[in-house]
Amino acid sequence: MEYVSSLVLIAVSAAFINNFVLYYSVGICPYLGVSRRVDMAFGMGCAVTFVISIAACLSWALTVFVLRPGAPLATWVWHWLRPDSAGVVDLSILNYLVYIFVIASSVQFVEMYLRKFFPPLYKSFGIYLPLITTNCAILFACLEIMKHVSGVPAAQLWDLGRALALAAFGGVGFTIAIVLMAGMREDLDLCDVPQALRGPGIALIVAGILAMAFMGFTGVDRNLAALLR
Amino acid sequence: MISAEVLLAGGAMAVLAVALSYVLGWANRTFHVEVDPRVEAATQALPGANCGGCGYVGCAEYAEAVVVKGEQVTKCTVGGASVAAALARLMGVEVKESWPYRAVVHCGATSAQRLKQREYRGEQSCAAANMISGVQGCTYGCLGFGDCVTACRYGAIAVRDGLAVVDYERCTGCGACARACPRNIITMVPFKAERVLVVTCSNKDTGKDVTAVCTVGCIGCGVCARLNDLLQIDSGLARIDYDRYDPATADFAAVLSKCPRESLVWVGKPTPKDLAAVADKELPSRVEADFKTTVDQTEWRG
Repeated sequence: MEYVSSLVLIAVSAAFINNFVLYYSVGICPYLGVSRRVDMAFGMGCAVTFVISIAACLSWALTVFVLRPGAPLATWVWHWLRPDSAGVVDLSILNYLVYIFVIASSVQFVEMYLRKFFPPLYKSFGIYLPLITTNCAILFACLEIMKHVSGVPAAQLWDLGRALALAAFGGVGFTIAIVLMAGMREDLDLCDVPQALRGPGIALIVAGILAMAFMGFTGVDRNLAALLR
Repeated sequence: MISAEVLLAGGAMAVLAVALSYVLGWANRTFHVEVDPRVEAATQALPGANCGGCGYVGCAEYAEAVVVKGEQVTKCTVGGASVAAALARLMGVEVKESWPYRAVVHCGATSAQRLKQREYRGEQSCAAANMISGVQGCTYGCLGFGDCVTACRYGAIAVRDGLAVVDYERCTGCGACARACPRNIITMVPFKAERVLVVTCSNKDTGKDVTAVCTVGCIGCGVCARLNDLLQIDSGLARIDYDRYDPATADFAAVLSKCPRESLVWVGKPTPKDLAAVADKELPSRVEADFKTTVDQTEWRG
């Protein structure tokens, strides 16, 4: 029960309270770039959710087994290479490099997959699909997971389920944010916006107001935790 | 010691690289999509600017349209003639000679020639004046507030004597003025020669109604259509068929001498002959706008 409630808390926190876009301000590039139409925004959100989940699983596995200090696989290889050596093997300097590597590969994978099975979506994404590679929300999710995996006592170490909950619901939160934004921008097209604010100006103001609105979720986690206990 | 750790790190990256490239290679083969090789070749031939000038989202989409739907090969504005030739070679078609489109104002009446004008003190723009009836008698003609002048980024259109006039030395054919005109009297006409004949009237009313509001507008009498088959009367207005218009053979001398109004006008860049004909005449003075006294677009319009 405690595990399930922690999963729920992680999910709600990632999707609403600490929304990647609106709280941490990561992933702004597609958030502003692809939020012109609701259907495209939703597609982008789904693609990011998919990529973020794959990347989080892979990076969790790599961090736990290879990269973190005292990772089993790295230690085993190390002792096989040098049977007489002592000390902890630490490959965490490779973290960023490996994460970027994994993210870029998953984006490539998704691109091929979409091209084969969802050509219209592939076309409507255009340049933004490869740009998921540089979507910092995904790297951010990997780094958040790393914080709970690398260099923590074994009892507090996150398992794959928690890592996946954070990443997938972070993606869901991104989808919610971008679809909300797209809905508002569709309506904004019909509004009489002052000349000076047309285009990016009003989009940024709307994004700011939306972020402030999401601040209202602050504190939900405490009550939710009490409710689940 | 250090070298061994570096070796381990490097080895880890190498193993990861091999594993991921294997997966991607497998995916590339499994999810392979058959694409017409001509689409790729066409994409290669295009500039890759993804500017959208052709009307498609990007170069790849235009390339696909050319190959799959048989879209015209001349639509790339960035690549111009060379890209059109490359695409035509690829598709096995021939590039027909294409003509630059230039803006033509289909109204020839200066404000003195437009009748039944009333005083208008509203916002000084055609879009606003067009919404009010009775600003001038002709509901088709130029209003002269210069929305097209504001829209033009090349300074190629000016209002002279209350009538928009295009400077064909500067016009690039972007069509911004045609989109800005609330009365849609500016159209883009293929300039098959430096000078083409145009109908400078848009009034579709009957001759009686036209004469009541204008001293020069086309009354749709049809004398031009009888003399030259390139001209037709279409809903009370002479129209020139530019598809069949051939500047080399067309002879409009008879038409021009018989037209009872002044609705058929040569427009375009003057030829040396035209310049020689008016060489002894004095140039009309041009008044430039004075930014200190002219009310311009910086005025607040809430």
